[in-house]
Amino acid sequence: MHLTRDEEEVLTGERGPGMQRAMELVVALGRIYDADRLIPITSAHLSGVSYKTIGEGGLDFLEEMSKDARVKVHTTLNPAGMDLARWGEMGVEESFAQRQLAIIKAYEKMGVTTNCTCTPYITGNAPKPGEAVAWAESSALSYVNSVLGARTNREGGPGALAAAIIGKTPHYGLHLEENRRPTMVVEAEVLDEITDYSLLGHAVGQRFGAAIPYFKGIRPDCNGLKTMAAAMAASGSVAVFHVEGVTPYSSSQDLKGLERVRFDHQDIKKAKESLTTGKDPDLIAVGCPHLSQMEMKMLASMLDGKRPRSDSPEVWFCTSRTVRTWCPKETAVLERFGKVVCDTCMIVAPIESRHRCTATNSAKACNYLPSLCSQKVVCGSYAELMGRIA
Amino acid sequence: MILNGRGISKGLTEGVVLMLQQPFSFLGGVDPKTGLLSGTSGAEGQDITGKVFAFPWGKGSTVGSYTILQLRKEKRLPAAIINQRAETIVATGAVMAKVPMVDRIDLSLLRNGDRVAVDGERGAVDLQGVKGHRVVTSVLMHQGRVLVLKRSDKVSTCQRMWAGVSGYIEPGEEPLQTAIKEIGEETSITKAKLVRSAATLMVRQQDTIWAIHPFLFESPTDQVTIDWEHTEYKWALPSQMDELALVPGFKRLLGDLGL
Repeated sequence: MHLTRDEEEVLTGERGPGMQRAMELVVALGRIYDADRLIPITSAHLSGVSYKTIGEGGLDFLEEMSKDARVKVHTTLNPAGMDLARWGEMGVEESFAQRQLAIIKAYEKMGVTTNCTCTPYITGNAPKPGEAVAWAESSALSYVNSVLGARTNREGGPGALAAAIIGKTPHYGLHLEENRRPTMVVEAEVLDEITDYSLLGHAVGQRFGAAIPYFKGIRPDCNGLKTMAAAMAASGSVAVFHVEGVTPYSSSQDLKGLERVRFDHQDIKKAKESLTTGKDPDLIAVGCPHLSQMEMKMLASMLDGKRPRSDSPEVWFCTSRTVRTWCPKETAVLERFGKVVCDTCMIVAPIESRHRCTATNSAKACNYLPSLCSQKVVCGSYAELMGRIA
Repeated sequence: MILNGRGISKGLTEGVVLMLQQPFSFLGGVDPKTGLLSGTSGAEGQDITGKVFAFPWGKGSTVGSYTILQLRKEKRLPAAIINQRAETIVATGAVMAKVPMVDRIDLSLLRNGDRVAVDGERGAVDLQGVKGHRVVTSVLMHQGRVLVLKRSDKVSTCQRMWAGVSGYIEPGEEPLQTAIKEIGEETSITKAKLVRSAATLMVRQQDTIWAIHPFLFESPTDQVTIDWEHTEYKWALPSQMDELALVPGFKRLLGDLGL
């Protein structure tokens, strides 16, 4: 891999130990994937935030890096293990909370925007078409690749942090046009609502793995795309997809000779049934990925004027702190039925200490709740879930 | 003997090899508090602390990078990591925790308990106490059959095993020169024609690593006169090789030559 003189200097430590270590990591990854050079990035998004995941070793590393390393581009953070303001109400232990806050502080010191969300593209970190970026978080990076048309590889948290500090990433994989072309065509029936897009994404990812699907026949809005991207990334490591007439580069794709498959209502129904493993949820959690402003409004209008059911389980509406701030009226309505939880979600928070069975409308969450949070799962649409509440 | 691979994470270190035969996940594969391997690693109970930890490649959750940091926190890090093929998870952890790491090393050349020095910058692994020898092995073909020779008791290695026409490459000699010279000496065949050669093959035998340069020749005759190095010979079909006690690496070498 070719390094410029400037990059060599960073590598030999002339700009300080933090930048040196970041460059070592970027170069190691570049070597592994046979990159020819480094290219500048315009933004980064980092995973590796929850104390539950990165532990003491991770915190030590971040504190060490934060001594002298600063990010060069707009960099945002994935959800943490708790609501950073209301962790007490969530039943999070003091010791966990202190370590979690120390992690956030280290990122903040490095210049990272510490609004912890998996949907940073809604709240200000939205790369433009064709821009190179370094993003972790499988759902967000798929959205950025597919819907926004920027380019990122499937970064891990540390790799994305290193790229943010250097302001560059190795040129390989999904930064190259030829690796972004569709590998199959999915002809899907028109879908009724958001959850169906999530289930479609789950079914496609599960059946075809890390493919690059080209969808025909569907017209998802940005909320449908958000949940579909998340589900496909979780079940099949899909990092880029195209939707005819919807995603920015869909019209220039060549579909000749590609395998074609059909997905209909039956497949969606089957996916929903296969994800449901429980019956009586003691937690209803929506917002995987984090709720958008539009979803907050929709949920609030579904619940407004109604009364909480006496048998309603605990309810979480997971969103980013920014969206919550944008939606004071909706938040007030939703908080009559449950908590509008920020900075975290049902996957990264330690819910297993208080809950056994979780209901959600996200196929991604259904996929991870059993293994990461020891939950039984009920998969339902927004309408079905709100019916259990009001 | 120095093996040259690719540097992934810098640093110079020495240690004793602990090797796994299968891909390894740091998450769940090792207890960061004790450095002991779990059952899923295939070497349960072994301690990686201070070892030169060799395995084909990393697998499993990306959280594995943080497990390596946790090992650092607990002072249970391996001295170095050697992989056949590096991937993101282990490479990331190694760089973050400053563990020297080298990849593109043929693990069949390492043995558990070997003492090695690892240079993560240059990508080199120095096997202390292991000698390297450059040799040629020529396979002669005649009408679809392969010449194999049984090594005598007078040669220094691999006595009574079946082999091709082999010999040490002397200083200043090109491998092909050696091959032609040895064919003349060991078989008295003079007009063999070179068909093809293959990439150098490395084979470990106790404390020796043979760097074998393979050649395939077509012989115009099946008349062979052997010298003191062999006691018998035969023209065998490639499919009959399994019936013979062959020198290490010979089957692989036949495959590399397209037989």
